[in-house]
Amino acid sequence: MKLAGKNQAWERHQKQVPSVDEPGGNLWGCFRSCFLQSAAPYTEGVAYKILKNDLGIELREAPGHTSCGAIGYHGDVNNLETQMVIAARNFSIAHYEQGVDNLFSFCVTSFANYTEVIKLWEEEPDLLEYTEKTLKETTGREFWIPHVSGGRPSVVHASDVFFANRHKLAEKAKYSLKGIKATDHVGCHYGKIFPGEAMGGAEFPQVLVGLLEAFGAEIVDYPERRHCCGMGFRQCAFPENRDYTAGSVYKKLASLKEAHPDCNLILTNCPGCTVFMDAEQGTIKEVLEEEFNVSILDYAQLTGLLLGYDPFKDCGLNAKAVPVEPLLDKIGIPYDKSKTAEERRRPF
Amino acid sequence: MGKLFNELKQDILYQHGMNACLNCGVCTAVCPAAEFNDYSPREVMNIVQSEDDELIEELLKSDKIWYCGQCFSCKTRCPRGNSVASVILALRRLAIHYGYFAESEKGRQQLIAKRVFGENMLKRGYTLLAQNISPSHFPELGENWEYYYDHMREMREWWGVPMDLENSPGSHRMIPEQDMEEVRTIYQKTGAVSLMDAVEKGMEKKLGSKAEVEKYWQTWLETGDSRNYEIK
Ligand code: SF4
Ligand code: SF4
Repeated sequence: MKLAGKNQAWERHQKQVPSVDEPGGNLWGCFRSCFLQSAAPYTEGVAYKILKNDLGIELREAPGHTSCGAIGYHGDVNNLETQMVIAARNFSIAHYEQGVDNLFSFCVTSFANYTEVIKLWEEEPDLLEYTEKTLKETTGREFWIPHVSGGRPSVVHASDVFFANRHKLAEKAKYSLKGIKATDHVGCHYGKIFPGEAMGGAEFPQVLVGLLEAFGAEIVDYPERRHCCGMGFRQCAFPENRDYTAGSVYKKLASLKEAHPDCNLILTNCPGCTVFMDAEQGTIKEVLEEEFNVSILDYAQLTGLLLGYDPFKDCGLNAKAVPVEPLLDKIGIPYDKSKTAEERRRPF
Repeated sequence: MGKLFNELKQDILYQHGMNACLNCGVCTAVCPAAEFNDYSPREVMNIVQSEDDELIEELLKSDKIWYCGQCFSCKTRCPRGNSVASVILALRRLAIHYGYFAESEKGRQQLIAKRVFGENMLKRGYTLLAQNISPSHFPELGENWEYYYDHMREMREWWGVPMDLENSPGSHRMIPEQDMEEVRTIYQKTGAVSLMDAVEKGMEKKLGSKAEVEKYWQTWLETGDSRNYEIK
């Protein structure tokens, strides 16, 4: 019964994202993330390398596309109207200047935001009209809506593209996660705002688990798996509010430790989760003298590691708070052992 | 039904976020903000449903609406298809519009939000910039991050994501001036600029002068905690 329910839920939340072997799957427009570029820039770097070199995808990006503004929307410095027109501008540039029809974003908040405005345009003709008119007035550009998943108005997230190509990536992998326990932490703005737009929905999200399974990992579950990381926009932004972030991370990791003390890998797809679930482990160690030592890697970093990219130079493991070497040793990924941990992280 | 509720009702985020709340408390049960603060999404939904302007005004002047972390866990779980997170967004805009945000400690942080990341879109076309994640305000990122921050340009080159170039392959490139003009016009026309202006004005009214607003800002810059500025 349990499995039947799971399969049914999965059926309901099947999302169609073309792999490189399917029509439209080898040419993508991509929207860069201001959060990634400021807090975890290496992630974009290794994601580009994998998409281009290992999957042979052509990525097109316009010089004039901007970030989506959604950090400001949830951080209360702009409006829904702003979000709609900025999104329309980015879509228009991708389609009319770059000639791409399939688009993904690198940030889960952009993904949710683009999904939100697309749904609003569908449901509220007045808002569609407002956006078209304002876009024209402010930029002279033509309105265009992407239809990525299954031909309906939609965009997808970069991790969806990795998921769609997971078997190909696993075939190319030099290392496997066999014998490694791992779990996922799916970004709230990927899975919770529009569960129907997430691979597997909010109940059984497959986007990261699918990748982990393809690479051979043993997936573990724990009670607080779906608890938010506590990034919270205005909470993580200001030190005085960050107890909320640290508290949320503590709650999650204590729950994981209790259920599976031997699980030291959480895979993520949101810049906020990737940065703060790692960083707050340092705070917790200092304040509570409790160590979790769980490596937080995002889908591109982990894929890069398994494909044989350099853990530090390519996958950017330099800037993490939790030491990553124990995990590399466990998987069997080599690194320069003649250098100290510090030397590996500080090349200049 | 008063003026405030009437205005709230016009907001599309309220209309889409509120389909009648049955007061079941599921949102509060899953809410991470409710766990760590004096905050309950169910209470927020009750207050707005009362349509009582006095209660709504009190809510807008309180810290409560600022505790929400915008994770939307409440939206996923609500049996009535409500989205407290969206109602919160509508309430926060209303609080800024009427200057009520400046009455609460968490609300006043809006000045910091406006100055730290609000203006970035107008200057660079990004909401967050590499320079925003400074080690002094993010000590938990640790010593490795400090090293990165001190060697930002070289490290980014090394990782293959150079910064501040035009149309570079990596992130954090310079966006052409013509595109920046378009973005500024959009922010002006869609009300984002006046929303940000309202934050400066509301703070000035609350603290008494522009000079006091600067003192509040300096206090935060130096100590990373706005509570160190004492309101007279
Ligand atoms: S979960 Fe929905 S119906 Fe229940 S109290 Fe919260 S908003 Fe109301
Ligand atoms: S979006 Fe806000 S109100 Fe809803 S669960 Fe998250 S923190 Fe709580």
